[in-house]
Amino acid sequence: MTIKAKTKIKSKYLKKYEKEMNMCIRCAYCFEKCPVIKETQWDTDGARGKIILSYGVLHGEIEHSQYVADKLFQCTFCRDCMERCPSNVSILDIISSARADLVDAGYASDTHKHVIDNIKSTGNIYGDTEVISPEREGKTPLFIGCQYLSRPNKTKKYIKILEKLDINPQVQKEICCGFPMEALGFRKEFKTHKEKFQKTFPFKEAITFCPTCTVFLREGHEIDAKHVLQVILEKLPKADLGMKVTYHDPCDFSRGLKIIDEPRKILEKLGVEIIEMKNSKEQSNCCGGGGGILMSDQSLSDSIAKNRIKEAIETGVDIVVTSCPTCETVLKKAATEINESEGTNMVVRNIEDIIWKGLK
Amino acid sequence: MKIDVNKLKEIVGEDNVRDNIADLYVYSSDASVHSSKPDAVVRPGSVKEVQEIMRYANKNKIPVIPRGAGSGMSGQTVPLSGGIVLDMKHMDKIIEIRPEDVLCKVESGVINDELNRVLQPYDFFFPPTPSSGRICTIGGMVGTNASGVRSVKYGATRDAVIGMKVVLANGDLVTLGSNTKVDSSGYQLAKLMVGSEGTLGIVVEATLQISPLPKYRSMGVANFLALEDAGRMISKTIATGITPSMLELMDNVAITAVNNAQNLGLPDVAAIVIFECNGMLKEAVEYDMGRIKKICKKNNGTGIRVSDDPDEMTRIYEGRKKLFPSLSKYREGLFTTALADDMAVPMSKIADTVHEIHEIAKRNNVVMSAYGHCGAGLIHTKILMDTNKKSQWEDAKRAVKEVYSYVHKVGGTTSGEHGIGFSKGPAFKQEKKDSLGMMKAIKKALDPNNILNPHKLMDSPDDWLTATPLRYQVNT
Repeated sequence: MTIKAKTKIKSKYLKKYEKEMNMCIRCAYCFEKCPVIKETQWDTDGARGKIILSYGVLHGEIEHSQYVADKLFQCTFCRDCMERCPSNVSILDIISSARADLVDAGYASDTHKHVIDNIKSTGNIYGDTEVISPEREGKTPLFIGCQYLSRPNKTKKYIKILEKLDINPQVQKEICCGFPMEALGFRKEFKTHKEKFQKTFPFKEAITFCPTCTVFLREGHEIDAKHVLQVILEKLPKADLGMKVTYHDPCDFSRGLKIIDEPRKILEKLGVEIIEMKNSKEQSNCCGGGGGILMSDQSLSDSIAKNRIKEAIETGVDIVVTSCPTCETVLKKAATEINESEGTNMVVRNIEDIIWKGLK
Repeated sequence: MKIDVNKLKEIVGEDNVRDNIADLYVYSSDASVHSSKPDAVVRPGSVKEVQEIMRYANKNKIPVIPRGAGSGMSGQTVPLSGGIVLDMKHMDKIIEIRPEDVLCKVESGVINDELNRVLQPYDFFFPPTPSSGRICTIGGMVGTNASGVRSVKYGATRDAVIGMKVVLANGDLVTLGSNTKVDSSGYQLAKLMVGSEGTLGIVVEATLQISPLPKYRSMGVANFLALEDAGRMISKTIATGITPSMLELMDNVAITAVNNAQNLGLPDVAAIVIFECNGMLKEAVEYDMGRIKKICKKNNGTGIRVSDDPDEMTRIYEGRKKLFPSLSKYREGLFTTALADDMAVPMSKIADTVHEIHEIAKRNNVVMSAYGHCGAGLIHTKILMDTNKKSQWEDAKRAVKEVYSYVHKVGGTTSGEHGIGFSKGPAFKQEKKDSLGMMKAIKKALDPNNILNPHKLMDSPDDWLTATPLRYQVNT
C-alpha cells in the first residue's frame, strides 16, 4: 500500500477539512481560469494540485517541505476555482489551513514573516510608524485599511467625496484587519490580533475602502461591512466626464462580495463609457496581486498582471479603472512595463480618482 | 529501470521536466479512485520532442503515459508501473481551420471549449460536448472516445475524427486517415487510435470534422411516475426518427439529491426527462419538439413544458446542471466515487437497467443514482459511499460487478464515453473476451516493448480494487 512519509505534519487546521478534501472529485474544472495554472501549466499549481498536496501532507503520503509550502503559497485567492468547482469544495479554506499547518511546521517565507511582524509591532502591514488615521467624529464607522492609510492623499480624497455627498463617516485609530495573518497561515498570531482589533474597532457595522478588508471584516470579524462604493452610488449626482475606459473587477468584488454593478453604475452616472474586457464581471481575470503571491513570487504575480493589462489593451481604450488598491498597484507596474516594451499608453486609475473628477 | 532526468531535460528543456516527489504525487492520480506515482513528468512542446522522448523510452523500456487535463475517471493516466507522464498541454496549437472542407486540424493539447471559441466566428463548432469540455484536451477526448449530452445527435469523438498524426512507440511519426468524410482506403487506423487510451501511440495532431452552429434551439421537460414510461418515451423518440440534440434522464435518487441540496422543488417522480432539439429552421425544430411532446403524453408524461426562451431553458436544465454538486452533498459522510460510471445499454433496456441499478445499490449498502444521455443509451451512475471504510470498498466492488453483469446480460457495453483505463478492466475483459487476443496482437505489433500506457484495457489487472493504492484514506 501507500508508502508513508518519514515525518507526518502535526495538523492543527487541515485535519478539520479531511472530509471536504474527499469531496474533491479531481475533475480539474478548477483549471479553467486559474491564473496560476494558466501561467505555469503544471497540474501541481492549480487548485486541484493544491488539494492533492494538502491531502498528501495531512496523511503523511508526502513529506512536508519547502517545495510543498511554495506550491501552497502560489495562489492569488482569486476565488475563480470556487465558482467552477462542481462539488462546492471550500478550496480557499483548505489552502489557508494547509498554509497554517505549514507555517506552524516552520515553512513561513521571510517576506511573509516580515509583514506579520510589521502588523504586530505597528498595526499596519508596512511597519510604518508614521501611519495615522485621520480621526474625525461622525455617524457611521469607517474602516480605512492599511493600504489607504499609507496613502494619506487618497484617503483624504475618499473622505472628502463622502463629505460632499453628505455621508458623515466616523474615523478612529485603527489597526490592520488581520487578513494577511489569516491568509498567510499565521493563525496563532491572528487569534491574539483579533482580540486587539475588536478592542480598537468595536463596531457591528462599518463602511470600508478596500475590497479585501470588506470581505474580511465580514468573514473574520462578523462586522456588517459595506464598501464605500455601495454607499456612494446611492447619493452620487450625474456628471458628464465623457471618458471611455475599461473596468477591472477586483476578485474580492466580483466573486467575493458580488459587487459587480455598483462600480459600473457609478461610472455610468459620471458619463464614463465602459468597454468591457473579454473576461469581466464574474468571469474577470485576476490581477495577480492577492493571496500573498505579490510578496512570495513577484515574477509570477507580474506575469499574471501583464496578462490582464494586455487584455485591457485589447479593448482599444487606454484607461483601466479598478476599485482595489492592490489591483491598482500591480496593474500600474505591469502597465508601465508593457508601455515601455510595446509602446502602448495604458493608464491605471482607481475609481475614487474618477469620482473625484466627476464631483469637482 | 532508471530514468535519466538529465536526458529528458536535454530534449524538452529544464523547465519542462519535473521529478520532485510533490509533483509526482499530484500526477499519480486523475479523477478515478486510484493512485500510483510516475518517475518523471515531461512536457513536450513539439512533435520532434515527442519523437525523441519515445526513442529514449523505447530504447530503455520505460513506460510512457500521455496525459491531457487528467480528468479521466477510469485511471487511464495513472502510471501503474511508474515511468514518464507526458503532459501534452503545451502542444496546444490550432493548426488550421478549413470551413470550406468542414474540418480543422489541432494539436492534442488544445482544450475543447477553446477550439469552440475559435470556431464560433466561422459559425462552426466541434460537436462532442463532454461536461469537462472547459478543461479537457482533444488528445484526452481522442484517447477515451469522449462524447457528452449532444452525442444523441452528433455521435462521439470517433465520429468526428477523420485523421491524425501519431508518434509510435519507436518514435516514428505516421499520418493516419484522410481529410475526407468517407474513406474506404484499407484499415481505418485513425479510428482505431480513437479510444485506444494512449496504448498504441501518442496522438500529436487530430483532423476533426466540424459542424455548422445551429441557429435555433428549444428545450422541454416531462415528469414520469414510472421509470418504464420514461424509458419507453426515450426509446420511442429515437425510433420515430426524431434526432433530438439532447435527451437526458434523471432518476428519483438524482431528483431527491437535487431537492435536498438545492431546494429546487423538482417533482417527486420516478424520472424526469429533459429533451432538446436544435437546427437551422425554427419551424423544423418546433415540429420535432411537438412530436416529442406527443410521445411524452402517450407514455404518461406529465408537467410537460417546452420553451425556446433562454431563461426558461436555463430553469429547465437547472436541476440537471446542479445534480453533480447535489450528489456530493446527498448525505453526510458519503462521497462520490467514479465507479461503474458510464455504461451504455440498448435503448429498450434503459428503464430496466436503471431499476436494476437501484436494486443492486440496495443489496450492497451503497447509494447509486442513474442519469445521463439516455437518448444515446448512455447511463451515468455514481457510487456514493463512506470512502474511509474498507468494508464499503468491498460493497462497491460487489455492486460494480453486479452492475456490469446485468449490463452485459442485456446486451450493453462497459463504457459509453469515459473509457476503460483499469477501473473497468475486469468488466471489459469479461465483455470482450472473444476479441482480447486480437487486441493484444495489435498492441504487440505496434508496441513490442509494451511501453505505451501499459496495464490498461485488455492488459489491466484482474482486480481494480487492489491494482494500486486508493487515492482515499481507508481505515481497516
